[in-house]
Amino acid sequence: MSEGINLGETIVFWVCAGLATLGALGLVLSRKAVHSALWMALTMINLAILYVANSAPFLGMVQVIVYTGAVMMLFLFVLMVVGVDASDSLIETIKGQRAAGVLLGLALGVLMVWGIGSALAGVAPAGLERANEIDGGNVQGIARMIFTDYLVAFEATSALLITAAMGAMVLAHRERWAARPTQEQLSKARFLSGEHPGNKPSPGIYARHNAVDTPALLPDGTPSELSVPRPLRARGDVRPVDHADMTEIAEIEEVDAT
Amino acid sequence: MEQIMPATGAFSLIWVLIALPLAGAAVLLLGGRMTNKWGPYLGVLTVVGSAALGVVMLLQMMGLPAEDRSIQQVAYRWVFADGLSVDMAFRLDQLSMVFVLLITIVGSLIHVYSLGYMEHDPDRRKFFGYLNLFVAAMLLLVLANNYLLLYVGWEGVGLASYLLIGFWQVKPSAAAAAKKAFIINRVGDVGLGLAIMVMFVTFGSVTFADVFGQASAASEGTLTAIGLLLLLAACGKSAQFPLQAWLLDAMEGPTPVSALIHAATMVTAGVYLIVRSNAIFDRAVWAATAVVVVGLITVFMGAIIGSAKDDIKKSLAGSTMSQIGYMITAAGLGPIGYVFAIFHLLTHGVFKAGLFLGAGSVMHGMNDGVNMRRYGALRKVMVITTITFFIGYLAIIGIPPFAGFWSKDEIIHAAFEKGPVIGALLILGAGITGFYMSRMVAMTFFGKARWEDDVHPHESKAVMTIPLIILAIGSTVLGMALLFWGHIEEWLEPVTGIATAPSPLSTAATIGISLAFVIVGASIGWIMYLRREVPITAPRGSLLTRAARRDLYGDDVNEVLVVRPSYWLSRVLVWFDRAWVDGFVNGIAAFVGGFSGRLRRYQSGFARSYALSMVGGAVLVVLALLLVRLS
Amino acid sequence: MSAPAFGMHLADVVPFNLPSIDYRLIAPILILMGAGLLSVLVEAFIPRRGRRPVQLIVVFVALLAAFAMVLAAAGSRAVTAEGSIAIDGPGLLLQGTLLLVALLAAMLMAERMVDPSGDAFAPRASTLPGSEDERQFTQRGYLQTEIWPLFCFSVSGMLLFVVSNDLLIMFVALEIMSLPLYLLAGMARRRRLLSQEAAMKYFLLGALSSAFFLYGSALLYGFSGSIDLPVIADQITAKPSQSWLLMIGAAFVLIGLLFKVGAVPFHQWVPDVYQGSPTPVTGFMAATVKIAAFGALLRVLYVALGGLQWDWAPMLWIIAILTMVVGSVIAITQTDIKRMLAYSSIAQAGFILVGVVAATREGLASALFYLIAYAFTTIGAFAVIAMARDSSGEATHLSRWAGLGRKSPIVATAFTIFMLALAGIPLTSGFIAKFSVFTAAIAAGDTWLVIVAVLASLVAAFFYLRVVVLMFFAEPGPETATVAVPSVFTTVALAAGATVTVVLGVVPQPVLEMVANADVFIR
Repeated sequence: MSEGINLGETIVFWVCAGLATLGALGLVLSRKAVHSALWMALTMINLAILYVANSAPFLGMVQVIVYTGAVMMLFLFVLMVVGVDASDSLIETIKGQRAAGVLLGLALGVLMVWGIGSALAGVAPAGLERANEIDGGNVQGIARMIFTDYLVAFEATSALLITAAMGAMVLAHRERWAARPTQEQLSKARFLSGEHPGNKPSPGIYARHNAVDTPALLPDGTPSELSVPRPLRARGDVRPVDHADMTEIAEIEEVDAT
Repeated sequence: MEQIMPATGAFSLIWVLIALPLAGAAVLLLGGRMTNKWGPYLGVLTVVGSAALGVVMLLQMMGLPAEDRSIQQVAYRWVFADGLSVDMAFRLDQLSMVFVLLITIVGSLIHVYSLGYMEHDPDRRKFFGYLNLFVAAMLLLVLANNYLLLYVGWEGVGLASYLLIGFWQVKPSAAAAAKKAFIINRVGDVGLGLAIMVMFVTFGSVTFADVFGQASAASEGTLTAIGLLLLLAACGKSAQFPLQAWLLDAMEGPTPVSALIHAATMVTAGVYLIVRSNAIFDRAVWAATAVVVVGLITVFMGAIIGSAKDDIKKSLAGSTMSQIGYMITAAGLGPIGYVFAIFHLLTHGVFKAGLFLGAGSVMHGMNDGVNMRRYGALRKVMVITTITFFIGYLAIIGIPPFAGFWSKDEIIHAAFEKGPVIGALLILGAGITGFYMSRMVAMTFFGKARWEDDVHPHESKAVMTIPLIILAIGSTVLGMALLFWGHIEEWLEPVTGIATAPSPLSTAATIGISLAFVIVGASIGWIMYLRREVPITAPRGSLLTRAARRDLYGDDVNEVLVVRPSYWLSRVLVWFDRAWVDGFVNGIAAFVGGFSGRLRRYQSGFARSYALSMVGGAVLVVLALLLVRLS
Repeated sequence: MSAPAFGMHLADVVPFNLPSIDYRLIAPILILMGAGLLSVLVEAFIPRRGRRPVQLIVVFVALLAAFAMVLAAAGSRAVTAEGSIAIDGPGLLLQGTLLLVALLAAMLMAERMVDPSGDAFAPRASTLPGSEDERQFTQRGYLQTEIWPLFCFSVSGMLLFVVSNDLLIMFVALEIMSLPLYLLAGMARRRRLLSQEAAMKYFLLGALSSAFFLYGSALLYGFSGSIDLPVIADQITAKPSQSWLLMIGAAFVLIGLLFKVGAVPFHQWVPDVYQGSPTPVTGFMAATVKIAAFGALLRVLYVALGGLQWDWAPMLWIIAILTMVVGSVIAITQTDIKRMLAYSSIAQAGFILVGVVAATREGLASALFYLIAYAFTTIGAFAVIAMARDSSGEATHLSRWAGLGRKSPIVATAFTIFMLALAGIPLTSGFIAKFSVFTAAIAAGDTWLVIVAVLASLVAAFFYLRVVVLMFFAEPGPETATVAVPSVFTTVALAAGATVTVVLGVVPQPVLEMVANADVFIR
């Protein structure tokens, strides 16, 4: 163990690094997008702790606020809004792809761990104080760099952000080619279509639970598929109707009747 | 060293020699249909104009003292980068002068002949455009004052030849022949390209003057390498072993093309290249020896193929290979032979052009049939063609006083000066020449008529026979004219140098022996094909005959050595690159099937396998860097 | 500690110096970025019908103004923006070329005549392919004018890419260049699914390569304590002992750049993306990304990693050979002309790498010349492809090109010129380019590499010539595509491409002088 690194730091490093790696693996290996996003949050938080432990509290906080806070939450919102389509197949169609992927990934990993590890083995750390000494602190250091050395890079990044926003709009914004139909037109169309004009049944009616995944029960006790949101149906996340519940409901109704 | 004179007088128009036919080609090819009517005549005129200009230049050159006959004209600076400087510059000396005359005069005659031969072709205008393009490129080739510009002409004639072989593209055989000629020629071009690069690195320049001036300073290994690369180039362009296979197929082109490009001019570019580079070959003994070996092998390959083919043009093509073999052999002999290589090149250019045009005239009368087994007795219906062809025949087999006798005899004599074996082989080759040419004449013009039913042979029109007559006159007198009146040896000496060595055989003995062989060969030919009736279907023939009919297995060798390996390489690469990760075809299928889950699966499928190969590449790159470091 | 004291504390410790930026020298980049911003505003505030003309004016004026600024800066050699931007001969030369080629590409993108229903882009990229929305927008003649701001940003990224002097700004420039291209690739009017698929692949793989680049930069920082290219170079000479950090870092940075160049084994995106993108974008991408990426690659290799030449040269040798051979050989089996040109562009990248490996002044000059020659030829070739059509869009299958020479001799002749140039036939720019690259490599001692290169170009010549034969020798049939009559935009771009290709072959002298005088990269 090199000089200047105390036991506490060492423990923090191994714990956080381990958790971060675990999170990264979980991100890749999870089958569900939501789980991946949560694993990623784990990685981000652990990285943030490492930054703080390295006397870079500002970077640590930014990491938590921006990545874990803003970016990850945005991911989750998007996943929620878009819904996860069950038709996304995870079956590997290419022969040998997985094996080759694992093999090459491991090869690259081994090369890098070996290479970087051996390169850094004999390096003595300069110490955390030294790094912050020059500018009098973490925040000041970053500020100076952004507004002097890397000013152009920093400003140029704005072009990137504009492009991203623009791209999102071009790909996702649906323009109208005809005037928006009025309330009256919509209403007429709804009735003229011949379909049931009213609301669909809400979930949970006459059921034991009122969560969105619980189908409403029709008067005869059978579950109504219509009452559960389509994405959940597509995913197969519909709570089955428990027949024990049914008898219980019947009992309650009897009691009420008497 | 030699001194180079600036261009004055008529010489200031050197560029016009090239520009005239080039302009003709431009007008004909870009002018569109409106030039259909007068275009061919314009094409003829430009070449005739160049020929006239060439003659004027010859006259002016003859008025100059021998050491002032190397004229240089710089058009402009073409390439100038760090250390490399190449001008768009022309060099007209004694060597290029004779080539200019050969190309423009024979070219003019063939242009005139084509007016008749291609009369009914709907794409006549384009044909003349290509011919003009060829003449321009060929003139550029011989007039360049540096190797890079020569390379431009070299590629140019290749391209024109490619276009003309494939002119009757509707015939799949013509398309295949064009492709084959192009590919084999590219192999030769690689040799020339590499030779130029080695020259540049060795000498720092690619002009003839600099390269030859500094050749003595270079190591023999370098010069041998350059020499062998130049030989490879010459083999490709001049159809010498082992790159000979394309010439026979090239006969798919219209006959005037075979006469101009594949007999008189382009195929002799290899000889020009070697003679021009004499300063290099003089100092690279092994390269020069290789030249002789290649030449000798081709003399016999060509002669054997010429003896077995029933197609009149292919038989002539075999003969062309063989005759160019003579020239290449002579060029490999060194200063003893350079002059005679060029001498034979000139006489051959004239009499072989005459023979090809004669064959064209025969085919014209025989509904484009080329099978000599269906000819016979044509002397009765095609008098002029018969006489001119017969003169060409006498010239090629080397009967005095016809042109071929003088030039071939000089080569054989020079070969004896170098070594008796070479001389003896060449005499044997002359005997075979006598045989196959007699066979051709006998089968075509003598014997009984074996014509197909609907064929009514007739003599061709004057526009075709007049060039035949002129070429026949040339075949008769050119040898004597060049030797006794033109003093070709003295004329070329400042460029090529000249040397003599004691020969084991006296001049008279050489002439006597070679004439004896020729007469024996010719007699066998006449007897075999006149005494007995020629069967209409070819007999099975000996092993050698059968091999010769298949071009001595040239194609099969190419197939095994080149075509198949490259096919497999391509297959393997495609497999590595795509088959393994591909499914692109499936992607298309899904695309056609509409927007479906399947398509989306394929999308990500591709990206992930591409990414996989990128990771693989990354591992390799890192390993490569580390291994270099560690080793 | 009170608040005012905190402010004083900062001022006491670090005197804040304003960064020195020579705005005159980075003006071309700023002009293009400004134009991008302006055209975003145009999108927001100009009525739909008026957007296209205004956008075109903005784009063309910006390109010309930027080019004028490059000319004005000619001869400058300076490091500005606190060491992050290096303006020097090669950088300015590449910037100038990029702007001219981008000008031609912009003309192709502006073309509205060849497709009866509009330009080459989907009327609204957000509509589902084949939907009623899409049909309605097409019918109403909508145009997606957002391509112009994207185009401007992409060009500004390229301009920045070739002059960036540290790895961070290089990375930012790489992304500014690429992100708009990912979008543009997916916006084709016809065969939209193929286009979207291409964009998706390009984006995913581009992201992977960016990750390599970024990780490599971090490792190089770990080795040298800086991301400035000259400082890395100094550290390499100062610490000559082997460092794995340096080697792996260098490898990763190079992988990121080789991906953009399209070198084997990082090439597989090229055919799919070239085929799927709208043809003007393919032409734009093929010509300019190659220039920009090679510019950055050369700068990294010559400036930062010059001291490591003995390490990277063998690796680049292998990659150059693989790239030339794989590109040339596989191109033979292609039946789609855009895919064929994609593999050809891979092979051409290999030829340029031959000049790069030489690592001499001549090598640099020849590679620059090659890039210039290649860019103009390529843009011209894609201009022709955009014009050969049938009722359902572009006719890219080779069989559709049979007999095109008889139907439209002039366009086919122009295409022939481009093919001959790519094949390296004399009197075209491609010949001079190949010749100078190969001689530079031989002079540097890479004889075997050149032999392979010459053999590969031999193979390559075959498939280029095949197209020529197909166009001129085959009889046109009912399947033969028709060449649409273009507006002045495509005509100018095509004529410019053909002219430059021929002029650089016949009188290459001025440009050769220019690349020779461009000198070396500033350190």
